[in-house]
Amino acid sequence: MAAVQPEEHIPGEVGVWVFILGDMVVFALLFGVFVFYRAADVSLFASAQLSLNQSLGALNTLLLLTSSWFVVHGVEAVRAHRAQLARGLLAAAFGCGLGFMVVKYFEYGEKLRAGHTITSNDFFMYYYLLTGIHLLHVTIGMGVLAYLWRRLHNTADMQGQLSAVESGASFWHMVDILWILLFALVYLMR
Amino acid sequence: MNTKNQMWCVWSGIAFAVFFTLGFWPITHFMPPPSPTMTAAEVASMYAANTNQIRFGLLIMMGASGLILPFTVAIAAQMKRMEGSPSILTYLQLTSGALGVLFFIVPCVLWSVAAFRPERAPELIQLMNDAGWMLFLMPFTTFIVQNFSIGIAILGDENAQPIFPRWLGFFNFWVAVLFIPGGLLTFFKTGPFAWNGLLAFYVPFVIFFTWYIVMFVFLRKGVIAQSARSA
Amino acid sequence: MRQLLFHRATAVWLLLVGATGLSWEFGHGLGFGSDFRLATVAVIVIAFIKLRAVYVEFMELRHAPAALRWCFEGWSLIVGASLLMLYWSGS
Repeated sequence: MAAVQPEEHIPGEVGVWVFILGDMVVFALLFGVFVFYRAADVSLFASAQLSLNQSLGALNTLLLLTSSWFVVHGVEAVRAHRAQLARGLLAAAFGCGLGFMVVKYFEYGEKLRAGHTITSNDFFMYYYLLTGIHLLHVTIGMGVLAYLWRRLHNTADMQGQLSAVESGASFWHMVDILWILLFALVYLMR
Repeated sequence: MNTKNQMWCVWSGIAFAVFFTLGFWPITHFMPPPSPTMTAAEVASMYAANTNQIRFGLLIMMGASGLILPFTVAIAAQMKRMEGSPSILTYLQLTSGALGVLFFIVPCVLWSVAAFRPERAPELIQLMNDAGWMLFLMPFTTFIVQNFSIGIAILGDENAQPIFPRWLGFFNFWVAVLFIPGGLLTFFKTGPFAWNGLLAFYVPFVIFFTWYIVMFVFLRKGVIAQSARSA
Repeated sequence: MRQLLFHRATAVWLLLVGATGLSWEFGHGLGFGSDFRLATVAVIVIAFIKLRAVYVEFMELRHAPAALRWCFEGWSLIVGASLLMLYWSGS
């Protein structure tokens, strides 16, 4: 169903990959710092982690995985020049992102009511910072999805939209990748 | 078209980086930064021990900061070629870049106040030292606006031969993101987000100067191409 | 609709959801005997298998030039090995 693809194909434009890889290096640094400081005080990190809500973290993983599925099909729909379908799929992915934010809102609320703030201890400092910086990326990603949705209003030149759509899709998948690792390290690591 | 002045402006970015680092590192010994956990007495004795050296280093750093202005203008001149009229992003870059200079000059003066009367109450010296470091590293505000305006202008460049490569636009977005952790130093006295930490100090510091060098390389290319075209 | 559901991406999605469930279990007591550290190692390894599936399949690096794909494989290898080493050194 997809348009004919060349043997080798860089999705989107090359510059986006500079940003994506750069961002992934930054997160690698953040994750490394987290595990490094955790190793220095395992008992504190392990006991503080017990008050996290892993079910909400898992729910958010499912939301992002599902949104990625929608985005993959959105790209395919643009390749097949089916603008309305593509817009619907991008809107569904946006909806998943919105769901992610709502879950985070309740999760943060639960923590704050229990008296866990960014200055409570080292574990919660990293918890709020890592999830907060990631949430910032989710917000940017949703802005990108909304921008693509608007762009696809112009159905005349679908092939011309493809590069922008692929670029945005790649960014959205990166947000997914970073959450997968964040969930494992912050919520599940024992 | 006179591109000679423009080339001077481009090179002033390198001069800034060299002189500022010289003042910051070997003269004032602000590298590594003094820890936020130091007591008032420790901070006071730091300023009392190398008073004149610190005063001199700060003077150099403050003077070097002026060189950011011609560099900012050189970026604006190339952005105007990308953008044409109305030059909204060019103005945005110009104003945010010009404002950003203050976050180099004012901290130098605050640290100089601390070094001005090292015999005064240690708590007051500590206050000035805190104010200087926080003003130096916390305000990512203008830098983010500057980097985003440059990035958006590069991506919007519709010249047949783009002035800058498109990836440089995304590079600018990335740099903007890396300045954000600096804002978090207000919460912490230890760890990676303290003002002597990996993510609030070392990463932004290295990235800032990397950005200078990368922008220098492409500004220089841009000016050379411009003078070749007008010749 | 059928075209959407019976698609390679759906199989990958199912795999990712299954892996999420498995790592959830490893985070909640499922383990290898008494040493819970091995369960954490499993969680980290599963996380990298998952994110690799995302960049190979969803990001379409399967079809990308080798250089770009190797940037990601290298990132995974270096970050994965470093995190495992840091984790093990602290437990």
